[in-house]
Amino acid sequence: MSLIDWRDEFSVGVDPVDHEHRELIGLINGLDAAMGRGAEHAVVVEALGEIYARIAAHFALEEKVMRDARYAAYASHKQDHEVLLDELSDVIDSVDADGHYDREDLSRTLDRWFSDHFRTHDARLHRELS
Amino acid sequence: MNRIVQALLYAAFAAVVGYFSLSPDYRYGDPDLATIKVSLSHATNRVEACVNLTPRQINERAMRGEPLAECPRERLPLTVELDIDGMRVLHTTAAPSGLWNDGPSSVYERLSVDPGTRTVTVRLRDSARSDGWDYEYSERVTLVAGRYFTITFRAESGGFAFR
Amino acid sequence: MAPIKRAMARAFNGVEGIFEYAFGQRNNPFVWLGALGWYFYWIVAASGVYLYIFFDTGITAAYASVEYMTRDQWYAAGIMRSLHRYASDALVIVVVLHLFREFAFDRLRGRRFFAWLTGVPLLAFIYVCGISGYWLVWDQLAQYIALATSEWLDTLPLFGEPIANNFLDNTALGGRFFTLMVFIHIFGPLFMLLLMWVHVQRHSQARVNPPRGLAAGTLLALLVLSLVYPAVSQPPADLDVIPAELGFDWFYLIAYPLLDVIPGGRLWLYLFAVFAVLAVLPWVPPAKRLPAARVNLDNCNGCTRCFDDCPFGAITMVPRTDGLAYDAQPLVNADNCTSCGICVGSCPTATPFRRAGPLRPGIELPHRTIAELRDEVVDATGRCAGRVRVVVFACDTSATDGLESDDTAIVRLPCAGMLPPSFVDFTLKRGHADGVMIAGCAEGDCHHRLGNGWTADRMARRRDPYLRRRVDTRRLLLSWLPAGAARRRRSAMSRFRATLGGLDDE
Repeated sequence: MSLIDWRDEFSVGVDPVDHEHRELIGLINGLDAAMGRGAEHAVVVEALGEIYARIAAHFALEEKVMRDARYAAYASHKQDHEVLLDELSDVIDSVDADGHYDREDLSRTLDRWFSDHFRTHDARLHRELS
Repeated sequence: MNRIVQALLYAAFAAVVGYFSLSPDYRYGDPDLATIKVSLSHATNRVEACVNLTPRQINERAMRGEPLAECPRERLPLTVELDIDGMRVLHTTAAPSGLWNDGPSSVYERLSVDPGTRTVTVRLRDSARSDGWDYEYSERVTLVAGRYFTITFRAESGGFAFR
Repeated sequence: MAPIKRAMARAFNGVEGIFEYAFGQRNNPFVWLGALGWYFYWIVAASGVYLYIFFDTGITAAYASVEYMTRDQWYAAGIMRSLHRYASDALVIVVVLHLFREFAFDRLRGRRFFAWLTGVPLLAFIYVCGISGYWLVWDQLAQYIALATSEWLDTLPLFGEPIANNFLDNTALGGRFFTLMVFIHIFGPLFMLLLMWVHVQRHSQARVNPPRGLAAGTLLALLVLSLVYPAVSQPPADLDVIPAELGFDWFYLIAYPLLDVIPGGRLWLYLFAVFAVLAVLPWVPPAKRLPAARVNLDNCNGCTRCFDDCPFGAITMVPRTDGLAYDAQPLVNADNCTSCGICVGSCPTATPFRRAGPLRPGIELPHRTIAELRDEVVDATGRCAGRVRVVVFACDTSATDGLESDDTAIVRLPCAGMLPPSFVDFTLKRGHADGVMIAGCAEGDCHHRLGNGWTADRMARRRDPYLRRRVDTRRLLLSWLPAGAARRRRSAMSRFRATLGGLDDE
């Protein structure tokens, strides 16, 4: 039973972007499952680092797509990207510093973020692009 | 940022540009001297005369569509001499131009001389002779300070021209 | 060769100090020499167009038309004429300074040879255009130039009959030769424009426009000069008269007096030798070949940030080859890559956070990897002791003499632009250091052209990748200084430490 299930509203209608959405959801679900199996703290930190790098690249690609399409709400969408990256950095640092992780808390946070962002900004982007 | 120093630097830049665009003067000619320019371009005689072909050889050539004469192209060098009041001021030899040495030979010289009324003698050799000259000309002329005196040569017009 | 360049660089730094004081670092004319060259070219071209309207081609008409412009229409055509002359002279000044400067700061070797090599024929063209311009006035200076140039050209085995014969006396000169000169003076500069375009081909976002302040200032200076000291003609040409005293434009005619003491043939030899030496300088001595940037497709989605940031156009985007769902991937042209690492600094996956696999970003320098950089930062700061620990990310060109101490770690990069902003975040937020200094070249004078500008923009959150908002930028100092300014950097460090000490007390 995975943390985040793919929903159509996660799709932006651009293949590379959607591919990355699936990949990211896969990474998050994988992390959630690993935590459920009692993964070591270091493994969780590394998984978070991987997610951070992938998400940073994903946002960069998505922003390129938005710029090319002269998307009107580019500025606010990009701002949300930066906020997410800020918050993810904070999470990584606190998990690393604490020496242990709270599965419930972490999973809930990741779920909320991505589902929220996908559901609002990305869905709107999908509407604009089609 | 300092606008005053900026202005000074701009002024210095403009001053350097302005000054060196016209100064210091360059002294090219000496106003007390005259200049003789010798400029000739002349095709000398060929080194070898045309080969004497037998009538039969000429006939064969005509049938093959070849030129009817066989004339080696190479020319002799050109020798030019210039005297002023009997004193030798120039003696030069010019090779023919062109890849096969078959073009005209050129002589171009500039000589600064004292002004005044002088006898100018110029000589040219364009044949294979070992002594003597093919063309020679002498004239008493007035050389003016600050002006050019040109000596040219046109075989068709009969020889040298002074100006 | 290196000691010569060092000495020249020191000389430039000395002179530029005054200009930096007067103009500020960003508008220092010495970092805009190439752009000023372009700018003066446009002034010359525009004024030339105006002059051409009133210029009459013809042996006597030419002089008369120029006199009309200078005297009767002094307020317009006259000013244009002066501007035309003075801007051309200014062009020679900035171009010569430009070539000396690029040589002194070693910006011509290795994969950067292209701009230098294409500059060599450009230099020759500037002179051909300028000299042919003076010919058109057909005053005594033009007469001298015609005589000297044709006699000089006659020492080359190019012509069957000496072209100096055209200027033998007043009967010899034909209008046809005059038309040839006009042709050269118009099409020479047009071809030169093509050469100028080629000259900047391998520079992305080539700086061909000087900043507005410099543009206005130089134009004003030349205009004032044109009003105060108008360009005038000398007495009309008369081929029967020997030109004696001539007002000389030394910028363009500097080699001509040599013809009085050196035979023309030998002077050609010297000239060719000079140009030959200039042409081979990029390979004397050959630059050390560093590996070009390498793309890691597993970590690359074709976001194009590296493509956008490369200063030498070494990256192009090509269709994807690994079958993943992305449209494009970057392709590095090893012939153009100067191994500056600016692309690495732009890559979103170039983060120091530990990952499941090896720390490999989408693009990196094989000889200076992100993994290496991370370890070095951790090690170097780990060895720091003291209350206020500072790490200096210094580019290879910047001076760090005297910064070494127990509480300072120095990490060198080929260019400040190689530093991913996430490293600044990592260093400060993980407590590896209390302050970060990024040391690079003076503004506008990045050795790799765009590195320090991009870095400043990334840290100010104007250019991707943005520095994380949570980073306290009071703990980040960007130190952009000329290459030899070690003392100024030490002062900056002292002031920075004082600021950091105050922050810790908060």
